[in-house]
Amino acid sequence: MYNEEQKILFRYSQELDVSYLQELYGEDLQQAEMVFESSAQQLKSELSLAEARFHDGDIPGLKKIVHKMKPLFGYIGLNKIMSEFAAFEQECAQVIEPASVESGFQRIRMITEEALQKVDTETKRLKQYNTQYL
Amino acid sequence: MKIQSIIVEDLQVAADFLKRFCEKCAVVDVAHHFLNAEDALIYLKDNVVDLIFLDVEMPGVSGFDLLDQLLYTPQVILTTSKTEYAYNAFQYNVTDYLKKPFTYQRFLEAIQKVSKKSEQQNGNSEQDHLFIKSDGKLIRLHNDEILFIESMGDYVKFITPAKKYITHNTIKNLETKVNPQVFMKVHRSYIVNFTKINDIQENVLFINGNMIPISKTHKSGVMQKINII
Repeated sequence: MYNEEQKILFRYSQELDVSYLQELYGEDLQQAEMVFESSAQQLKSELSLAEARFHDGDIPGLKKIVHKMKPLFGYIGLNKIMSEFAAFEQECAQVIEPASVESGFQRIRMITEEALQKVDTETKRLKQYNTQYL
Repeated sequence: MKIQSIIVEDLQVAADFLKRFCEKCAVVDVAHHFLNAEDALIYLKDNVVDLIFLDVEMPGVSGFDLLDQLLYTPQVILTTSKTEYAYNAFQYNVTDYLKKPFTYQRFLEAIQKVSKKSEQQNGNSEQDHLFIKSDGKLIRLHNDEILFIESMGDYVKFITPAKKYITHNTIKNLETKVNPQVFMKVHRSYIVNFTKINDIQENVLFINGNMIPISKTHKSGVMQKINII
């Protein structure tokens, strides 16, 4: 059992948009844990689909997946990535040839993989905190 | 009374996030979550809701296509990650527009708008009449003309001493639209004009020779409303 007075506040990682996450989840860290975990799962599966669409040369299909992935970064406090995804979505809307979006695609793939590492770490921290205090 | 809603959203995370807010605010019930608009349309053919949380860009039928195909107009809160749809949202007269992800505070503001709009709509039911669409025209019926309203699946029948009018609607929807000072639901298939009741025997009431059942659920409400001396 913990003493309520000794309870420390959870601090989100500085790599994330801390004030935005505090505004989004408030004191509901169980919701934050749940959303972080499911966002990571969905990002992983959408990234695999995006890779398949890119390799198939299906740019409209790729655009749809990028659109779907975009808000997921918001839920995990990586808002800057949302604008990078919005720009790539625009790029996909304007081109037909897969070669034209290759560098853009490689970039969003790399960004997503880095984001996944951050979100996995943060999910573990949230889980640990919630187990300890809730 | 809670706001009955559905979520139409292809992003599971966004739907779960929204469901949590609905639970937290305790005034919105989420009846279902649909991952696509096609399934939502099938549900909405047979079910009436007060509010739809609607994503715009989904595979297949879009959120706006769904609104085009609806046979009635519940309130709509658009949930999207793009701001470009604001003009369309205005054209479709949606109640609010939430950009994903949104905060709890912003969600509450949207729900307040829904409640305010509902109050305005209910305020209209304080009038002494209503308009129904029947035989291709809008017919004005005074409350005093209507004896009772009977369900016929996706249609309802308005019974007046002179005529019966059939219109596309449901008892559940009408329950919130008619003037509660005059009308009351007595059974899942019947709304009656209280001033027209001739007599009540056990679980049945009579209006102009028509026998109308009173369900167990509504019996106490009926007994509270009538003036027993």
